[in-house]
Amino acid sequence: MNFAEMHQPEFAQAPATERHSHGRWEPYVDNGGTSLAIAGSDYVVVASDARQSNGYIINSRYSPKAFQLTNNVILATSGYAADAKRLVEVLEQNSQMYFHKHEKPMSTTATAQMLSNTLYGRRFFPYYVFPILAGLDTEGRGAVFAYDPVGNMERVVYRAFGSAAALVQPFLDSAVGFKNQRNADATRLLDREQALKIAIDAFTGAAERDIHTGDWLDIYIVDGNGVQHQKRELKHD
Amino acid sequence: MDSITLKVPHTTERPAEITNYGPTTHISQPSVTGTSVVAFKYKDGIIMATDCLASYGSMARFRNETRMISVGNNTLVGMSGDTGDFQHMKHTLENLLTHEYDMDDGQNMGTRSIYKYISNIMYGRRSKIDPLWNSYVVAGVENGESFLGFVDYYGTTYQSPTIATGFGAYLAQPILRKYVEGHEDELTEEEAVRILDDCMRVLYYRDGRSFNKLRRAKVTAEGVEISEPYPLDTNWTIANYVVGYGS
Amino acid sequence: MKLRAELAIKCATHESQTESRNHSIMQYNGSAIVAMVGKNCVAIAADKRLGQQALTVDMDFEKVFRMTDRTFIGLSGLAADVKTVHDTLRMRVNLYKHREERVIEPKTMAHLVSHMLYERRFGPYYIEPIIAGLDKDNKPYICATDLIGCLSLPEDFVVTGTASDNLFGMCESLWEPELEPEDLFETISQALLNAVDRDAMSGWGAVVHIITPDGVITRDIKGRMD
Repeated sequence: MNFAEMHQPEFAQAPATERHSHGRWEPYVDNGGTSLAIAGSDYVVVASDARQSNGYIINSRYSPKAFQLTNNVILATSGYAADAKRLVEVLEQNSQMYFHKHEKPMSTTATAQMLSNTLYGRRFFPYYVFPILAGLDTEGRGAVFAYDPVGNMERVVYRAFGSAAALVQPFLDSAVGFKNQRNADATRLLDREQALKIAIDAFTGAAERDIHTGDWLDIYIVDGNGVQHQKRELKHD
Repeated sequence: MDSITLKVPHTTERPAEITNYGPTTHISQPSVTGTSVVAFKYKDGIIMATDCLASYGSMARFRNETRMISVGNNTLVGMSGDTGDFQHMKHTLENLLTHEYDMDDGQNMGTRSIYKYISNIMYGRRSKIDPLWNSYVVAGVENGESFLGFVDYYGTTYQSPTIATGFGAYLAQPILRKYVEGHEDELTEEEAVRILDDCMRVLYYRDGRSFNKLRRAKVTAEGVEISEPYPLDTNWTIANYVVGYGS
Repeated sequence: MKLRAELAIKCATHESQTESRNHSIMQYNGSAIVAMVGKNCVAIAADKRLGQQALTVDMDFEKVFRMTDRTFIGLSGLAADVKTVHDTLRMRVNLYKHREERVIEPKTMAHLVSHMLYERRFGPYYIEPIIAGLDKDNKPYICATDLIGCLSLPEDFVVTGTASDNLFGMCESLWEPELEPEDLFETISQALLNAVDRDAMSGWGAVVHIITPDGVITRDIKGRMD
């Protein structure tokens, strides 16, 4: 025992819930929540619930975790809310810088690569965020990019991340990816109304079973006309 | 002759792999602490309460502390957690406001700016793994719109019509959910005061680190008003019937 | 650097995955079982995989058992206990038949299982059973218990196994009330197949039993073998 420890009163400790098994302070928390994105031929649908929680406590019923980065790029997050917020700020700043430097908005694919680089830049003290980036590519097709916290990137047609990912992703495999349907054309893309309906159904189911998902659903639809946002109600319990 | 190695008292030798690797970490545990902050929106703005106690572990060490401050013209900040770290934060905010005053540009620090500033400090300190052991509740009324936000030592932020920190999250928040959520725009000041006092009374009954001397504050379009300390009426007649739990 | 590398590893693993690693006995062999209520019928389905952690050792492992003509039990969890509990339960069901001179009802069997498990409260069998069947009035019955026999009796569907989260997500969106046997078969099959395809510990084909008043339809389902 060193001098400092000897003179530390025994009771001067954080409450039991905030102490950690290693005795070291953990700089991460999981604030729950779920995000998904579905790409179509000329649109992309992004949906995130708006509940922010900490263990069994609901911090806020409306604390959005999907953000509009540029004119046609949406970033949906889940995981540690403070890191997600900072990540969004960094990306916003950099895409603004790009805009002023090049006198054109950053393309979706460029933003996607920038996000990967930003995440990998913190490889040894990662942003505890599971990002999904969605927008339209240069051909005007829907584009969804999914990442792990350290920047591994993949372009996909649909993806769900967050506390209810295990519940939502298999459903998307079935409803969007037509998996396990012998006669279906697996390459077929949904039309916008179908995709929207599936996103809502997925979250209704997730809110039923996952305590960290619920309250409100933020939906962004990106297409050639720009970004449309809507807010829907989910279960509040 | 052999050389003699002297050991300095109160030091222990640490293995090289502990001392030489990893980021600088800090032993940070709260010592003198304040308990819950309770705040919520009502018709005219935001109402908030904290008690006047700063505990040292289980000892009621300082019984006349103020845990709410007015920052700038129309912002109210409430704090729970380490009072030392709170003093540091007050100091930092004072520097910020002095700097802003010196600018003399006719601008004044808005609530959202102060909230963002505190959030950035808290997130910055957690990122250095040297957190300020506090939760802050920031409230204000800016061009007719009321603002109520929260920050903790993880840098987690959120805004909500009702906020309660510490034990308040368990004991006060359910009361606020029932009486405030969805009625923020209708509650009068009298109703808000009654609800707030009810919350503080419940906290005084059940939070062992609370104190029956508290301050109430409100922030409206007219600015910030922090009350003088006052006690709550309590009723302990049923206390005799609570038997067990070692009593 | 060491600390940060550890943080990175913690970070790259989402909480639910870290959590499941701690319950390693329940996840050791891998399984996915689901039962659903339909209109005058019930369905129970399970995957066929048996593994030793990530290594698949059997692709035709039975985990759903026909205990009576109209009552099935699905046992997820540790394969050794699946066998033991199945054997013990078969004995108890036979004893019941001889003693009572009638076939055990699904509800009675559920309580029998619950008692069997709670008997071992402090040294449990590492299984989570689900029971599905039709009672004497052809009323559908489904239930699930945890490893110490706490019964849960929902009206719609029950799930268990390493893919239970996935199954919950599927069932919550696919299931609807009053499904006819063939529609129920399609629903339960799709729920199971899509669930196990997102779970590394279960899959490798499936078996579905549809229990109707006229008899039981059993179908083996071909699924992804990876």
